[in-house]
Amino acid sequence: MSVITNTPQISTASAARAEGLSKFYGTGDAAIPALDNVTVALAEGQFTAIMGPSGSGKSTLLHMLAGLDRPSSGEVYLGDTEITSLGDKALTLLRRDRIGFIFQSFNLLPTMTAAENIVLPIRIAGRKPDDHWVASIVETVGLTGRLSHRPSELSGGQQQRVAAARALASKPQIVFADEPTGALDSKSGAELLGFLRKAVTELGQTVVMVTHDPTAASYADRVIFLADGHVVDEMHAASADEVLDYMKHLGA
Amino acid sequence: MLTATLRAMIAHKLRLVLTTASIALGVAFLAGTLVLTDTMGLAFEQLFGKVSAGTDAVVRTHAPYTATDGVSTSRAPIPAAVLTDIDQVDGVRHAEGSVTGYALLTDNDGRAVLTNGGAPTMGYNMPADEDLRGDVDLLSGTAPDAPNEVAIDATSAEDHDIAIGSTIKVLFQGPTREFTVVGTVGFGGEKNLGGTTSAYFDTKTAQKVLGTPGYFDTIGVSAVDGVSQAELAKRLSAVVPQGAEAVTGETVAQENSDAVQKDLKIVGILFMIFAGIALFVGSFIIWNTFTMIVTQRSREIALLRAIGGTRRQVLRSLMIEAVMLGVAASAIGVVLGMGVAKALTTLMDLVGFTLPSTSLQLEPRTIWVSLLVGTLVTVVAALVPARRATKVLPVEALRESTPGAEKPSKRRAVIGLAIIGAGAAGILAALYGGADMRIFGVGLLALIVGVMVALPLAVRPLAALIATPLKLRGLPGELAKQNALRNPRRTSSTAAALMIGLTLVVSMGVFASSLKASFGDVISDQTNADLFLSSSSAQGPGFSPSVIAAAKGVDGVDKVSAGGWGQAHFNGGNTSYSAVDPATAEEVMNLEVSQGSVADLGKDGVMVSRSTATAEGWKLGSVVPAEFAVSGKHRLHVVAIYDGKGWISDNYVISLAEQNAFAGPQLVASGLVTLVAGADKAAVQQAISAALADHPDAKVLDQKGFEKEASGFIGQLLTFVTVMLLLAVLIALLGIVNTLALSVFERTRELGLLRAVGMTRAQVRAMVRWESVVISLIGALSGAALGIGIGLALSQALKDEGIKAIAIPAPQIALYVALAAVAGILAAVGPARSAAKVDVLRAVVTD
Repeated sequence: MSVITNTPQISTASAARAEGLSKFYGTGDAAIPALDNVTVALAEGQFTAIMGPSGSGKSTLLHMLAGLDRPSSGEVYLGDTEITSLGDKALTLLRRDRIGFIFQSFNLLPTMTAAENIVLPIRIAGRKPDDHWVASIVETVGLTGRLSHRPSELSGGQQQRVAAARALASKPQIVFADEPTGALDSKSGAELLGFLRKAVTELGQTVVMVTHDPTAASYADRVIFLADGHVVDEMHAASADEVLDYMKHLGA
Repeated sequence: MLTATLRAMIAHKLRLVLTTASIALGVAFLAGTLVLTDTMGLAFEQLFGKVSAGTDAVVRTHAPYTATDGVSTSRAPIPAAVLTDIDQVDGVRHAEGSVTGYALLTDNDGRAVLTNGGAPTMGYNMPADEDLRGDVDLLSGTAPDAPNEVAIDATSAEDHDIAIGSTIKVLFQGPTREFTVVGTVGFGGEKNLGGTTSAYFDTKTAQKVLGTPGYFDTIGVSAVDGVSQAELAKRLSAVVPQGAEAVTGETVAQENSDAVQKDLKIVGILFMIFAGIALFVGSFIIWNTFTMIVTQRSREIALLRAIGGTRRQVLRSLMIEAVMLGVAASAIGVVLGMGVAKALTTLMDLVGFTLPSTSLQLEPRTIWVSLLVGTLVTVVAALVPARRATKVLPVEALRESTPGAEKPSKRRAVIGLAIIGAGAAGILAALYGGADMRIFGVGLLALIVGVMVALPLAVRPLAALIATPLKLRGLPGELAKQNALRNPRRTSSTAAALMIGLTLVVSMGVFASSLKASFGDVISDQTNADLFLSSSSAQGPGFSPSVIAAAKGVDGVDKVSAGGWGQAHFNGGNTSYSAVDPATAEEVMNLEVSQGSVADLGKDGVMVSRSTATAEGWKLGSVVPAEFAVSGKHRLHVVAIYDGKGWISDNYVISLAEQNAFAGPQLVASGLVTLVAGADKAAVQQAISAALADHPDAKVLDQKGFEKEASGFIGQLLTFVTVMLLLAVLIALLGIVNTLALSVFERTRELGLLRAVGMTRAQVRAMVRWESVVISLIGALSGAALGIGIGLALSQALKDEGIKAIAIPAPQIALYVALAAVAGILAAVGPARSAAKVDVLRAVVTD
């Protein structure tokens, strides 16, 4: 799966970037760095995968980039907005309006139907969803006919596709996915990744995904490797085997 | 296992605090009531003991029945001549007659010295012998010693600036007289005798103004040293005339104290009912808490079961938790109970019932009863959820349970509706089918229980109704509704606690306003009076008959018809009766006499209500046996049967003359005044008012004023009941806080997710707040509906007793509902804050 066709030109503008980002847990001498002075830029319209062994800091990096957690030092930019200095409210609105999320599990509100979950961030904002756009996403992820179901009536793969649809419904600047296939079987995982790939390729969406699965990473345009809180390497349009080899080399 | 239980309890501090508080408040009320009744009992016992301290024996006439029958005993007087025989008895140191009666003091300006809450205004003779005075002490001045001298209680003197040496009028059943105040009196350290006013005269004067010259009410005797009370009473028994008895001083003190305590018992029972309601409401919170504990721990419990823990072990561990919680909360409740007793004393003081002071009595009985009741309520409320916990299957340990929507069961619906139906049928049968009134009571109870059982079914439609305006609040409003609906059983048991409080408050409100409205109707329908004479103090005992004569003399007055009231035994049972003036009764009242005539109420005649006549099979001329405390047995004849209950609501009506003959001289309870044709009502009212200047014991009112005065009492009572019930509402609100806190705890991940995808803290807070409002409004609306129904049923049930109008105090009920919503917002403050603080990463990080 290393052949990538019609890769859009990597634009000079980055959708998000981190500069000198560090995160320590604990204080003083006992402080353990989860991220140590990481500088990375994520290009617009690209599918980026962040890989690394457990404890490498890949999830921490994603949380910082997505405005879900605050760094100990360094800066995060979303587009041109420096977000580390934003207050809780501004950060919340930024997540609502400019970021889409797909988590590993528990993505959906159990009391709402699939359709309601998809438009959740738009409804939170008090806006009317773009019905046309939402319908086209629903069709793409193959959820037509499942819209009135509640999460408990959907399979794991379907739930993740609802989450993906939600992430795209508000036309965010960037979509962050945290191990989105971690709890799925390989077939469901492939469907979800195919959809994310399509979103990047056909819709020009920017997607950043944390994963430890080389197959998942192989869907990405660019794979960034993290180890011990540092960016150690990156690959472009790598195959699953290439990623796996490199991971072995990292000792994961 | 025990350490695990303890650790779990401490881990959820808020839940622990809230559940403890809800039980502790209920127990506090119970303990406070017990402390208060013990304290009051002791205080009065001490007081009566002191007052009668020097009296070793009392000689008095037999009473046909005693105070313990519920009728305050009055006895036939004993001739003064008996005193001579008593003085001859060996062992008598001194004997003196005592006279007691109605005496109303006036202040320096001639205004009546009124008491609060209908406490009596009394006159006594001051024994010449200091020992026989007991602890009735002169605090200043001298004892009355001349026909124009009086000593009064220190409270009246202080409150009304009545100085020694000043001249005041004192009103009696007979003519008013002027006296010079020569002293002030205290009672064993108290400045008044249980909130009453007291006037002391010398014995001769007292006989004249309070009783009958030549007679005493009782004779007090003190013994020489070495003769016991019992021995003295025994010796005296030998000389007392036929129909009289000699008893020990201790017996009399005990009787007096028992009589007061019997009255206090009613107060105690009233408070006890409120304590019961509070505990009942509190048990809902315990129920909820244990349901939550079980839900949260289902995995832990299942794991225990999987590794071989028996169901009994699981049940035991939960029961230990309930017992520990119950004991601890009840212990706190007992301590708080002392405060409650203090507060209730203050409250009673405010409404004018001053208790003799003594330190609060915490009897061991109070402690163990409170602990037992509090613990029992806790354990029983925890039992069902705990039993459910034991049914957790080990496989559930593996399942991650997200609390989803749960549908109320069909069985519950059927049972609930069946109970409601049975209750309603019972109520209707009692109201319209002539069934026993006990069935009515059972029906009411069944109705409430049925509604509580079926409430989960009503949660969905009610929430939909309440949440309609919430749609305007956008997504937080909608999520609030969905969250409230998620677990209808929990929502409904949380709301049920509030529902019970509201049901009681609203039904009392409907009943009271129907009572008020009926009162207006009764006055205009059942009387033809233009003006009304009533006692100066709202709940006063009445006024002197001379007031009637004074009003009659005013220009423009046509008729003045006096009315009286009393209690006696009729047809074997203790009951109240009315007394009317047969000459004018039919002209001033619409009695709807269907047979016979009121005018025939002369010697030994009685008018009975139609319902009683029908029940007893009485016709005109039938004999009605009656017994009066003063005069004994009488055979009365039915001379009239009346239907027009309302103004008069007693089943037995006699003439005023008969009342005087049977029960001794009496005060007039009310006077109905009609005017001559063409007289100006306002002018006549003013003229009567002027004529009553010398009669400060009465006042004249027009219909509006009279209505207001009479219903003012109803309003006061309602306020009191409402304040008491607010405690139950307060506990219910603690329950809402408890439920919300748990909901927030359960939904940590969801809240994190919502925050991650862009819900602001303010929106999260709003969501929790609206959920709280939905829950509290479900309770308030169902409570209001049930309360209106019960209030109407109660009013309808008492139709025969004169509640003819039905009135629903809509603005008042709307206010209660609005307050419940506001209270819901307040209850949500804490839980909303903790919901807004939820860490976003908690939701997204899978661990």
